[in-house]
Amino acid sequence: MRRVVITGVGAVSPHGLTSADLWRGLTEMRSSIAPLSAFDPATFPSRIAGQVPAFKTLDYVPKSYRKATKIMARDIELAVLAADGAVRDAHLATRGVMESFGGKKPDDSWFEVDSRRIGCNIGAGLICADLNELTSAMAPAKGDDGSLSLRKWGKSDDPSKPSGMDQLTPLWLLKYLPNMLACHVSIIHDTQGPSNTITCQQASAGLALAEACRTIQRGQADIALVGGCESMVHPMGLMRWTLLHRLTTTGNDQPSRACRAMDQTADGTVIAEGGSVLIIEELQHALARGGKIYAEVAGLGATSSARGIGGPDPAGEAMAVAMRKSLKDAGTDPRDVQLVVPAGYGIPRDDQAEASAIKSVFASQHPEVVAIRGGLGDAGAGSQALDLAAAAMALHYQSVPGAVNCTTPLAGLNVPQQTHAAALKHVLVSTGSIAGQNSAIVLRRYV
Amino acid sequence: MKNRVVITGIGWVTPLGRTIDGVWAKLLAGESGIAPTKLFDARFFPTQFAAEVKDYQLPEHLRTSGKHEEISRATGFALDAAHQAWRMAGLPMPGSPASAAVDPYSVGVYLGSGDAALDFDNFTRAALGSWDSEKRSMNMPEWGRRALGSFNALREIEQEPAMPISHVSMEFDARGPAMNCLTACAASTQALGEAAELIRRGDAEVIISGGAHSMIHPFGVTGFNRLTALSTFNEDPKRSCRPFDATRSGFVIGEGSGVLILESLDHATARGAKILAEVVGYGSSADAYRVTDQHPEGRGAIVAIESALRDAGMQTSDIDYINAHGTGTKENDSTETFAIKGVFKEHAKNVPISSIKSMMGHLIAAAGAVEAITCVLCIRDQMIPPTANYSVPDPECDLDYVPNSARKTKVDVAMSNSFGFGGQNDTLILRKFVPG
Repeated sequence: MRRVVITGVGAVSPHGLTSADLWRGLTEMRSSIAPLSAFDPATFPSRIAGQVPAFKTLDYVPKSYRKATKIMARDIELAVLAADGAVRDAHLATRGVMESFGGKKPDDSWFEVDSRRIGCNIGAGLICADLNELTSAMAPAKGDDGSLSLRKWGKSDDPSKPSGMDQLTPLWLLKYLPNMLACHVSIIHDTQGPSNTITCQQASAGLALAEACRTIQRGQADIALVGGCESMVHPMGLMRWTLLHRLTTTGNDQPSRACRAMDQTADGTVIAEGGSVLIIEELQHALARGGKIYAEVAGLGATSSARGIGGPDPAGEAMAVAMRKSLKDAGTDPRDVQLVVPAGYGIPRDDQAEASAIKSVFASQHPEVVAIRGGLGDAGAGSQALDLAAAAMALHYQSVPGAVNCTTPLAGLNVPQQTHAAALKHVLVSTGSIAGQNSAIVLRRYV
Repeated sequence: MKNRVVITGIGWVTPLGRTIDGVWAKLLAGESGIAPTKLFDARFFPTQFAAEVKDYQLPEHLRTSGKHEEISRATGFALDAAHQAWRMAGLPMPGSPASAAVDPYSVGVYLGSGDAALDFDNFTRAALGSWDSEKRSMNMPEWGRRALGSFNALREIEQEPAMPISHVSMEFDARGPAMNCLTACAASTQALGEAAELIRRGDAEVIISGGAHSMIHPFGVTGFNRLTALSTFNEDPKRSCRPFDATRSGFVIGEGSGVLILESLDHATARGAKILAEVVGYGSSADAYRVTDQHPEGRGAIVAIESALRDAGMQTSDIDYINAHGTGTKENDSTETFAIKGVFKEHAKNVPISSIKSMMGHLIAAAGAVEAITCVLCIRDQMIPPTANYSVPDPECDLDYVPNSARKTKVDVAMSNSFGFGGQNDTLILRKFVPG
């Protein structure tokens, strides 16, 4: 079977705009949770967020594609940034990269890709329409009962004036289709291979990576851009997570301590934004071009908790099965895993189930467990993508970042309090989504 | 050696009904499921008709189970279609004595389903009630107050595109891999293809696959009307969707679900299941061209079709029927024709091609699933449904579109194409099952 390795990492997170920023934030054990500034959250019980620092999308797209930035929702912008970081890190001279270098490779360390042999599989969330934009169009069509009048929305009383809907840009719908993350990225980098958009909330990125990995294993592509990005920092996102009681409401005065992933004192998560795009590549292809290898994608496992939004079963059985499947697929056993990166939302019920799953899989083994949500928050479909980026870098640098805000870990978990060097061979990245999809990936050190 | 993948159950909820043979008879008779919009007041919209699932009520056992409160229309369709398919496949319901024979972790779910409609009344009231017309922006604290006081938590989460798989997985205690992909109009074809790959690789024995979607709501239709992608032929809805016809003027929005039970041949054989057809080929590609347009020479479509043929180990001469994406837009139908000719060359004229969207409308993410089911039925009955409303030939669309009447002919191998907004292209090839 064809083996698959990770040869590039791009990440956009509350820690910064690059994978190096992410790694620095993790190893320095920072929290980038801060008061929410994207809009005024005064009337919400949770008023903090993990927000990505300011950036200009225009800086990350080729000149010829600048017009398209007008129809990019924030989630799409994040994916464009992460993909740009990933292809540059992997020294892939894609169409977009070549254009930024004036049409030619800067030097021979860059590899000119065969567009037909490169795929794109980026997980995405439910992208919400911009409230200001939509309401501005709806306002003149307000009905007598306070809701939108479909009559005024569809047709203007005064033929010389546009109707409500006519005030929306013609391409309005395309800003919010989840597959537009992959669409824009595939156009910018000219990736014509298999492309998909997995929408399984927080488990999206692991499932996307697994699927793209299978396409490479069976020979339908040599390279793929994989991952996931989402911005939960949107009024609708905050409203939904609030109504579902997922968010901490006690951390507003001390944002950096608010999200206590896998800790006994956890009382809710924090909304965030970001994500990551990784370059995965067939091993021989990577070796032949002299690509830098972060890690091998060794094992894939996925299950469903089959409980709707009832959350994981308290014993974390389905999550544990996904972990075991991934270990079996990797041909390794729990004794050879040194680090586990769980979702660790900081939501007591979910964290407990994950802890149970980890303990049932690893029994008397005690791999280190580091959940990175503590300093970053929950970025929806971007979350597991950041976990995968972190795991790939941990293997590459042979270093385990210390956990943030987890000084009293859930019972039985071995949570490092300091960043330290470590001989890592296998890292298990596991996530269960809010609707019950579980994704487990085993990454292996490549030597 | 890869596992062979067979289809052992099918079910659907469509604008033409919700029984397999009832809908099939209507498709063969060229009946239209398109009519004036009833789901919301569309009288003042540019497009005032749609292909709705009419007078739909969720079957009672689903309504009263207590597990599916506040589900979206699409999730209901998916559950209904999945029950039909599961029953046809002869698989045991969880909790029944026979269910002990099925390992729940070997049963997966992979749908291509779309996100559901916003909670229209609450959403528009909260937004309009907090609009500051002087500043021309939202008063966010006011919005927060209104939203938190009026929105329903379940109804909000049920809008997530992963909710159909979440409910289907719960309903059938399917604990294997669970995925949803949302590649616009290509989604459920892609879901079926990737689900087949999971079985081939041994990651699951059974997968409940297909898709579900309804965009027949004010903002869904607004989005497509603004893109000018929809037909506005309000004078005669039944004649509004005219794939491959020179006078075609846009697609017609539909809704529904199609679900197929995919199974490894060994698993199906071991339990003595009746096999309806085999999934033999799958191809997928991206146009990587433009957000709004297909590549004019069908570059991505050609790659998808070619790689499906290669995957199936087949020549173009092996294909007896092509179920076209055939949306009825100017661009799609000529591009698709161009792509088919690009791959099939001289042989293109010999292959019957039809678009059931002419009768069923475009079920968006769910379109590929009902089209795959149609291919199964074509193989079962050796019949091809027509492309309805075809009257004026278009020089750019010069193939055999099986105009207006069904055709009795050999269909042992059927190909189904789906192309999504955003450039994802997917092709499936199904074959009459031959043991050995």
